[in-house]
Amino acid sequence: MTNEHLMPVAEGPYPPTEAMLAEPVSQAEQERGKAELRAAWKTPVGWRYWSAVNNTEIGVWYSLTAFAFMLIAGLLALAIRVQLAYPDNTFLDADRFNQFFTMHGSAMMFLFAVPMFEAISILLLPALCGARDMPFPRLSAFGYWCFLIGGVFILGSLIFDAGPKAGWFMYPPLATKEEGIGPDVWLLGLSFIEVASIAAAVELIVGTLKTRPPGMRVNVMPLYAWYVMVVGGMILFAFPPLIAGDFLFELERSFNWPFFDPERGGDPLLWQHLFWIFGHPEVYIVFLPSIAIAAMIVPTVARRPIVGYSWIVLSAVGTGFLSFGLWVHHMFTTGLPQLSLGFFSAASEAVVIPTGIQLFAFVATLMVGRVKMSLPMLWIAGALAIFVAGGLTGVMLAIVPFNWQVHDTYFIVAHLHYTLFGGMVFPLIAGVYYFYPFFRKKLMSERLGRWAFWLVFTGFNLTFLPMHLTGLKGMPRRVFTYPESSGWGWLNMISTIGAFIIAAGFAVFVYDLFRSKKYQGVIARNPWGAGTLEFSHDVPEEAWGVRSIPYITTRYPLWEQDGLVERMDAGRFYLPDAPDHQRETMVTSVIDAKPIYVQRVTGPAWVTMFAAAFTGGAFIFPTFHIYEPAIVCAAFAIVCVMYWLWTTTARPPEHDMRDAGLGLRLPTYASGPNAVGWWGMWITMLGDATAFAALIFGFFFYWTARPDFPPEGALHPDGMWISVGIGLLVASWALILAGRELNSRAHVARARLAIALAPLAAAGGAFAVYLSVRDLDPTSHVYPAIMWALMVWLCVHAGAGILMQGYCFAGSIAGKLTPKYDADLRNVTLYWHFIAFKSLVVGAVLGLVPGWLP
Amino acid sequence: MTQITEKQEAREFHAEATSVWRITFGPLLWAVHFVVSYSATAVVCAKGGDVGVLRLGIGIGTFLALAGIAWLGWRAWQQWDTLRNRGWENDTGTSQDRHQFLGHAAFLLAAISFIGVVYVALPPLLIESCQ
Repeated sequence: MTNEHLMPVAEGPYPPTEAMLAEPVSQAEQERGKAELRAAWKTPVGWRYWSAVNNTEIGVWYSLTAFAFMLIAGLLALAIRVQLAYPDNTFLDADRFNQFFTMHGSAMMFLFAVPMFEAISILLLPALCGARDMPFPRLSAFGYWCFLIGGVFILGSLIFDAGPKAGWFMYPPLATKEEGIGPDVWLLGLSFIEVASIAAAVELIVGTLKTRPPGMRVNVMPLYAWYVMVVGGMILFAFPPLIAGDFLFELERSFNWPFFDPERGGDPLLWQHLFWIFGHPEVYIVFLPSIAIAAMIVPTVARRPIVGYSWIVLSAVGTGFLSFGLWVHHMFTTGLPQLSLGFFSAASEAVVIPTGIQLFAFVATLMVGRVKMSLPMLWIAGALAIFVAGGLTGVMLAIVPFNWQVHDTYFIVAHLHYTLFGGMVFPLIAGVYYFYPFFRKKLMSERLGRWAFWLVFTGFNLTFLPMHLTGLKGMPRRVFTYPESSGWGWLNMISTIGAFIIAAGFAVFVYDLFRSKKYQGVIARNPWGAGTLEFSHDVPEEAWGVRSIPYITTRYPLWEQDGLVERMDAGRFYLPDAPDHQRETMVTSVIDAKPIYVQRVTGPAWVTMFAAAFTGGAFIFPTFHIYEPAIVCAAFAIVCVMYWLWTTTARPPEHDMRDAGLGLRLPTYASGPNAVGWWGMWITMLGDATAFAALIFGFFFYWTARPDFPPEGALHPDGMWISVGIGLLVASWALILAGRELNSRAHVARARLAIALAPLAAAGGAFAVYLSVRDLDPTSHVYPAIMWALMVWLCVHAGAGILMQGYCFAGSIAGKLTPKYDADLRNVTLYWHFIAFKSLVVGAVLGLVPGWLP
Repeated sequence: MTQITEKQEAREFHAEATSVWRITFGPLLWAVHFVVSYSATAVVCAKGGDVGVLRLGIGIGTFLALAGIAWLGWRAWQQWDTLRNRGWENDTGTSQDRHQFLGHAAFLLAAISFIGVVYVALPPLLIESCQ
């Protein structure tokens, strides 16, 4: 008998009938529910406020931090523009100029664009889904603190004149040979932030898939949620190659393993591949969530449902896929075969189709609707105008010969700013105006908003339109000054004036954002007349997210489901109370959003902050080549995370079932694919497998790109140790799988034995894999170096797997993990499925492939 | 006994009840075609192979990919079922509308994947050598 039979399942009527929904709730009952929810969701006060983990707090901190980093990066841009205003200027010297433009690009991309999407989504998604919070609030908090520490560290390097200066894409050999700690700051600081970005992406995907309100099937979910899901998936497949690249890069910088050094068999082009496999999807990762905001604003303005919902879904999913086939169009001048360039040119032209479709869907919606112009729509209109112009130069740049002509000139600078400003900044600001009543329960000023718009819009075009010409006249990117005879002076002066006008626009916006709005009193709940669920929010604010979780059957519930908000307020839907004074949210099925169980959600904690600080230490100390404190920090980070998991996640509940309202009784615990934790693990491991695939790609890349791979007479890894190592790792996987099965059949003692043996096998296996490459010298040539890199990757993962197995063993002994409540063990087994697969691949690459290569 | 598992509905649309992935099969075929064409080209151009054979191979691969996408598109067209049931928007919270919506989305994605594969097949059709 397996535990599927032990676990209770949902009981009671579903879906609810009209009659059930019409049944009144007594005033006393309503007050009880409200009081319980208030107690459960109370935001900590005083200095303890900073221990909050609720999405409404984290989201606001996150977005304000990202916005602050954006303003700093904007100031760097102003300094750059001042330096370039006229020929032979000496405002900045070449070294500082290099640091500034490198940091401008890096900060805008890594510290603003992606985190801002995640911040806004953390704020919005639960509200769009009528959920109480994100499924893993402490993970959001951990991600935020990592982001803050990492961002301050990276930007802080400028103050010490130690910033990176090789450009935002850090090309070797310039960046591998660069003196000082600049590239290390970039690599380790940004890797740290990328990990946080992936954590947020995992949470957003799980949130979209599993915490939608009952009844919200995939065909009625808000378009924003579709975009979040697509973008989350893209982050999962785009960021890991960069992390793998960072891993190789830092090994070269710190330990002299020659991955990018052509003299010892390496190849700088591998970095370009890994960077741009990340870098081009990144552009769409930035663009899609912003256009998603447009997909929310346009129907509200047109006062009708969006036209072509399926077409927009096609557009989002199609762009998500095609954007992965474009990366080489950043590498058209690297001497790859022209036939290869042709593929990427073709795919770059193809991606225009889905991108264009969504814009046409917006225009169609506006055409058939009764448009009520508003300030957010003004910004969206500006966005469309600018983005379309940027898209047109993009079509030009996708053509190889034209690309050669303008490569590395200001034409590129103009193009990328048109796409990013039009595709990201304008829609984002539109979103701030549109959602401000939801975020802050106040309205921003219409008049100031128009001023800001026209200043930014004209300033933008004044700055960047002339840059197309500057580029065609031959001005290269990243030069700190230029001679008078070039004739670029007047164009640059216009751009600099424009830049200050943009800055003035932003000053107006910032003032409007932060000025006191107390005089407004209590604002209308749904000031724009929107149809989506976030505008059912409570004014004045309540921390519980939604009073009761509604049953949703339409795309625009506030327009199409009469009396919905009144019912939600009266607690006539699901989970209208919190009898245990615990935070909870409802978990539903992926496609049809049927209620599955009630998830206990974690509350305020300091441990996330400590975990982030120690993780920061583990990344930041190696920048200065100090390793002992880094190892200590890593150990403490692990302890913090373990403590956090042990004390709050997947604990056996006091009651098996919970009255969820409307006659429905739901389980309070789930394990395996029903549980959100399992989905979190699955999605994380998908990303991790992508990073691993990038390393394997590296191996085969060297083989195709280099005649001396493997070099003649090279020492190969030891076949016997590889077989032993891989055999033991696979045995460890088999043991944990056996442990899971035995445990679920209530053979607890035998299960414990299997779970206790598993880490021993894993440790032995990892050690044997290490022995197999021990005699190879990774600094001598890229061939032994990549073997070592694969070994390190596998051993680190096996190490994490050993900790997880130990955690399950301890859980079984302590009674946290029982035959009935085995979510931890199922998640760990899932992790080990991936390790077993990776072990086999590493075994094949280390032991078999070198013999097969022609 | 639970009433929440609607037996009839579960039988009717069982195949898609747990997965949204199938709408991505068209784009996945595009991706496989893209990666295989690119990798084969990289290896042939770097290691010195017969470009004629490569182009022929990509041609056959393209045919297979297009046939696969066309088949997926046909299946999706049937699932969308727009000729018999002319609800364009499929915007109500019923399993019927969800079923048709997923068909529509998969159909559109198959169409875009088809175009994408054709685009990617053009360079080897028109360019006769690696350089």
